[in-house]
Formats: sequence, C-alpha cells, structure tokens
Amino acid sequence: MEKKLNLSVILPLKSAVVRDFDEYFDKCIKSLKVQKVPFNELLIVHTVEEQLVEKLKNYDFESLNVKLIRFEGEANYQSQINLGIENVSSEWVSFFEFDDEYANIWFDNVLKYTEIYPDVDAFLPIVVDVDSKDVFAGFTNEATFAANFTQEMGYLNNDTLLDYQNFQTAGMVVKKSKLDEIGPMKSSMKLTFVYEFLLRLTYFTARVMTIPKLGYKHTSMREGSIFWNYKNGENVMTESEVKFWISTAKKEYFFVDDRNIKYDAQSV
Amino acid sequence: MIEKIKGSIANIEFKLNRIYFFVQDTRGNAKASIKYLYDMALTLKNDGHNVIMLYEKKEFTPVTSWLSGPYDEIPHQCLEGTNLAISPEDTLIIPEIFGFIMEQVKNLPCGKIVLCQAYDHMFETLTPGATWQQFGFMKCITTSELQKEHIQRTMKNVSVDVIEPVIADVFEKQQFPPKPIIGIFSREQREGLNVIKEFYVKYPQYRFFTFRDLRGMSQEEFANSIKECFLGVWVDPTSSFGTFPLECMKSGVPVVGKIPNLTPSWMTETNGVWIDNVIQLPDVIADICQTWLEDNLKPELYTEAAETASKFTDVEKFNTEVIEKINTFINKRKEAFEAQIAE
Repeated sequence: MEKKLNLSVILPLKSAVVRDFDEYFDKCIKSLKVQKVPFNELLIVHTVEEQLVEKLKNYDFESLNVKLIRFEGEANYQSQINLGIENVSSEWVSFFEFDDEYANIWFDNVLKYTEIYPDVDAFLPIVVDVDSKDVFAGFTNEATFAANFTQEMGYLNNDTLLDYQNFQTAGMVVKKSKLDEIGPMKSSMKLTFVYEFLLRLTYFTARVMTIPKLGYKHTSMREGSIFWNYKNGENVMTESEVKFWISTAKKEYFFVDDRNIKYDAQSV
Repeated sequence: MIEKIKGSIANIEFKLNRIYFFVQDTRGNAKASIKYLYDMALTLKNDGHNVIMLYEKKEFTPVTSWLSGPYDEIPHQCLEGTNLAISPEDTLIIPEIFGFIMEQVKNLPCGKIVLCQAYDHMFETLTPGATWQQFGFMKCITTSELQKEHIQRTMKNVSVDVIEPVIADVFEKQQFPPKPIIGIFSREQREGLNVIKEFYVKYPQYRFFTFRDLRGMSQEEFANSIKECFLGVWVDPTSSFGTFPLECMKSGVPVVGKIPNLTPSWMTETNGVWIDNVIQLPDVIADICQTWLEDNLKPELYTEAAETASKFTDVEKFNTEVIEKINTFINKRKEAFEAQIAE
C-alpha cells in the first residue's frame, strides 16, 4: 500500500493583486503536486478579495485535496494560519507561503523521519533562501548542525534560540497536538511572531529537529511581503521598534495566549 | 645434531614450534595494519599454534586499548632485557617497516616471513642496496595482488602470498539517517586539514557540515563515528589495500577519495567517487554535499559500495588462508629437516 503523510498544509493568501502572483502561485502549487509521497489536504485560507476568490475558484489543483477557507475580517498572516489550524484534520501541520516552494523530497523525508523519530514534535527543513530574482542568498535552519551550536546535533532548543534567531517556520511540519498545547500564532506580534512562536514551542518542551535536506525554498524580501513592508513599506519599523519586538518575543513566549501586545514608541 | 633436528620435527608435528609476530607499539592509536597482524596471530592461536607477539620496549600499550576482541589472550613478550629463545623450527613474522630488525636477526636459524602491507615502507629502514633475501627472508605475505606484483618486481627471489584483510563485523549500517558530518581519513594529518580548511573558505555556505578526523580512534569508536557520517573522505596516496574506504562502504557511507599510487583492485567507477588529484577534493566534496542535501546521490554509491565491501567480510576465508599459508611454510621447513636427516 502506498504510504501517505498524515499532513495538512496551510496556505494563507491575502491578495492576488501582487506582482507576479500567478507565477509564484503556480510554482507553489506545483511543488505540492510533485511530492514523492501524497499528503492529506491543502487548506487555503483566503481573504474575500474578489480577484483572489475568482482565481481560486477556477484554478486546476488536479488531484490535490484542497479545502478553501474564507477568512472574513482584517487578515494578517498569523490570523489566517490560526484559522487554518482550527480546520486541520491531520496529525501533522505545515505552514506554506505562496511565494515559496517545497522541494519534492520534503514530505518523503518527513515521513521517514516521523517513523524513525516518533518523539520529535516538529521537523524543520533546511531552507534555501533566494532573492526575488531567484538567486541563492543562503540557508536557514541549518545552524542546528553547526559544530558546538546546539547541545544535541540537529535539534533546536530554547537556549539556542535565545542566542540565535535565524530560524523559520515556513515549511516546518509540526504535530497538531503540540500546536493545541502551545496555543496559536500571536496575531498582535509584529516582526518577531515566528521567533516568539519557536521560542514558545521549545519552551513547552517540543522536540524540534532539522532534517538535513533542502526541503523548502523561500523567497526573501519579495516586494510587498510582510518583512519587505517592515523594511521598505508604508509602515517602516524604526530601530527601536525592531528592538522592542525582539525583546517582546523573549518575554511573551511563556504565555500561551496572545496578550494583544502593542508597540508604544514612548514607552520604549 | 640429528636428535635436535628430530626434536624440531616433533615440535612442528605437535605444534610446539613458536610463531613470533613482531609488532609495533601503536601507543593506543588504531591501525588497520596492526589489526590485520593480530587477526592473523589470533587465527593461528585458535588453530592450536604456539603464537607469541614480540614487542620492542617495555612501555607497550596493548592493542586491546583500541581493538575489542580476545587479542590479549595471545601471549606477549618484550624483547628489551630478555633473551629470545628461537629454535630452527620457529617462525619469525616481521612487518616490512622493520628492515633493521631483519638485519639483526639474519643469523637466526628460524623460518622468516615478511608481512608487507605498505609497499612504501619496504625500503624505509633497509640500508641502500639491501634486500629481504640477504637477511634470509624468502617468503612474504601481502594484502593484494597488485602489491604482490610490485614486491615481486623489487624483491625478485621472494615468494609472495596474498591474504586479503577482512572488514570487521563492527562496521555495519546505522539504523538512523546520517548527519551532515564528513568523516575524513588521511595518512598525514596536514593533508586532511588542508582539504578541510580550503573547503570552508571556498564554500562558506556549507559551514554547517562538520568534518570528523577519524584517525587515532578505537575500532568501536571509529565504527560508531563513521556510521553517523554521510560521506567518507580518503586521502592516502600510498595506501596499498584501502581498509578505510571498505569500512565506510560496509557502514553504508559513500566514499570520495584520491586514487592511490597502487589502484586497489576493488575500486570501480561506480562504487565511490575517485579522483586523480587531491586538489580537486574540496570542489568534489562540495558537489557531493549539495547533491546529498537534495537527496540526489546516485544509488550505486550505496549499492555497488555495499557489494564491494561484502567481498571482504568472509572471516572463514581469511582464517583458512592464514592457516593454509603458514602451515605450508612450516611444513616446507619440516620437509627440509627430514631431508637433512635422510642425508
């Protein structure tokens, strides 16, 4: 019998009216179609933007099991991810972004590793970061293998994260039960919501392991992306705000709930 | 005189004759060549032979410090401050590196065998122009046919037998996936270090790959370490057999290596990545790293390698060859003694 990964992929979509959306979207969906092992479902959490709804309605997802979930209200990445998590029906969950791609070997490797390491709660891919011209910029999540970096080679723990922030959740595959335990992504957090999430995950004793395979391609600083906006968009962050969010992440990860944190320039 | 010769014959018949192995002090560092020598000795001891390991100085570190197995059951004897009792029916087996010892024992009336595992050490301690034959060593045991040919071209009247080593059972596939660790084994430490340093300078994106120097470990440590690696790197231009790559192959670890001066007979185009020049190594390693990260290494690197290694796991064959070859040598001595009586 063909093996199947008991996984739900959550893909939040905010707008189809961004540069090169069609090209990125085609590639991201194709990267799911070419996986060496099948997976349960793709949950697309989309806003009510007309162009986006139309696009999704008419898109040929072929044999993928796709569920479209409408997100009403003011969307942000974290809120859309959280709505996706509420609708997950699998043992494992992965967070996806429309300008990214899974490597076709990723789910196959995850399946192997889940069988070999049943005590692990989350698997990180080595992420290949590229710029908007698809030029290699570096790796992420690979540092768990660097000499004398972590206590246990390949594993990410809370102490390591407190010293080094460059890890990301995109492409990660995490147990749904662990997500239920540690709480959702915090939508009030800016800039460091991924960092806070990983700190919380490891604080709540999740075993997080990097699989030493290139599992995910991430487009860094695409024009219009969340982090591009923090640096170049309308609401550019000041240095002090950046510091605020970093220190906030290090304070908030003890709490399961989103405590509705707001940046107040005068209080810093 | 005849009585003495009869005594020698009787000793051979009852396996009371001694077989001395001259052994180098490893000072606790693992050496495949010493393991080979001890494996021979143990095989002969288990066959009922009277085997004694000879070592030079009183300060001697037993091989059991790095080699697990019943090797300490073999009697050992120090040469320093003792008189070595050697009779004509005894056999002295000396590694090729001890050319100066061969010279010292040239007048002893016993049987003499050179154990030549590293052709590049053949002349290291011989005086210029000296040969093994001059010191009464007319028999040689070596580890490969290629090395046999080389020896026969040099030591023309020496009869050479080949006994291929076996790769120990302790080398086996890991049940867990490998990590981004590269096991490196070089004859000279600096050769390995140069490869590592150049690799990190040229390919900083691969700094998360760790190199592990696999020299000087106990066999068990070594076997456990290699299992964690995804790649073995072999830099040993004067290797005459290639134990390290075979140990990697048996452990399910692909190997990249510089082709030694004497190309091992087990080496094929597909059972490893073999290069001519060590200067290519950092680039080749980087290519392999990328390919491994993409899960794209050729399956033959595993399957062909496993098949190659499986040819060197037959302990019974090794034991049989050791016993047969040494017995043949000793029996020829016995026949010579019998001929003396007949005269």
